[in-house]
Amino acid sequence: MAIQGVRTEHLDRAFSALADPTRRSILARLAAGKATVSQLMEPFELTQPTISKHLRVLEVAGFIEHGRDAQRRPRKLVALAFKDVADWIEPFRRQWEGRFNNLDGYLATMKKKER
Amino acid sequence: MPPQRKVQAETNIVVDRDANKIMLTRTFAAPREQIFEAWTRPEHVACWWDPAGFRLVECEIDLRPGGAFRFVSQGSTYPFSGFYREIAPPARLIFEAMGSLGKVALNVVSGKTVMTVTIECGSSAQLDQFVKMGVDVGTSQTLDNLVAYVGTMLQ
Repeated sequence: MAIQGVRTEHLDRAFSALADPTRRSILARLAAGKATVSQLMEPFELTQPTISKHLRVLEVAGFIEHGRDAQRRPRKLVALAFKDVADWIEPFRRQWEGRFNNLDGYLATMKKKER
Repeated sequence: MPPQRKVQAETNIVVDRDANKIMLTRTFAAPREQIFEAWTRPEHVACWWDPAGFRLVECEIDLRPGGAFRFVSQGSTYPFSGFYREIAPPARLIFEAMGSLGKVALNVVSGKTVMTVTIECGSSAQLDQFVKMGVDVGTSQTLDNLVAYVGTMLQ
């Protein structure tokens, strides 16, 4: 029970971090390779404190970590954190995707029968 | 009528852990009247509900508020069953299933139908249970899948 509680809490934190569109964009950018705060500031047109705030939320949620380089501290993705989230939702997403793909195909045959 | 063009598979999923809600959105070329019918007549539901594409072995629909439904896939442990709450063709269908509330909303956007299926659970634990129910477990994911997953959330 305790273990499940911790796991649920972790998922709650992860999803609330993912709820923000800017943070999702930052993750998508980091998926392409590590980046420093100043490298992240440019494409997002955000101030350094705002970027840092988002990075902190992502770090607490376990999605990203610092590099070793003390000066630039490039951020990179933590694959394992995504694995937890994806393991939880991906089979479900696929199930509904399969269902809606079927519906899409079926709607076309329904139309043929009626006309 | 031109043949229905197959756009790439795209079901957008949004998980709101704070509200214990999952929203699935998909755009169809078909009119919403037809989609509403596909959701509410057993001879139709039986043909598309199973994710793997098998015809349902059982499909019962009592389409009225308080009426029951029951969808059983071939070889599945859990039937998908519950009661209808609101039937408002062609825009809205609301049902209760496995302790959660399901809402199907059909909206016309630029000549197409945007279907949003919302699943609302009472608690975080219930949401976890709903997500796991009837889904194969133990599929291991690669980083590629994860990145693709973040991609689907970006839309």
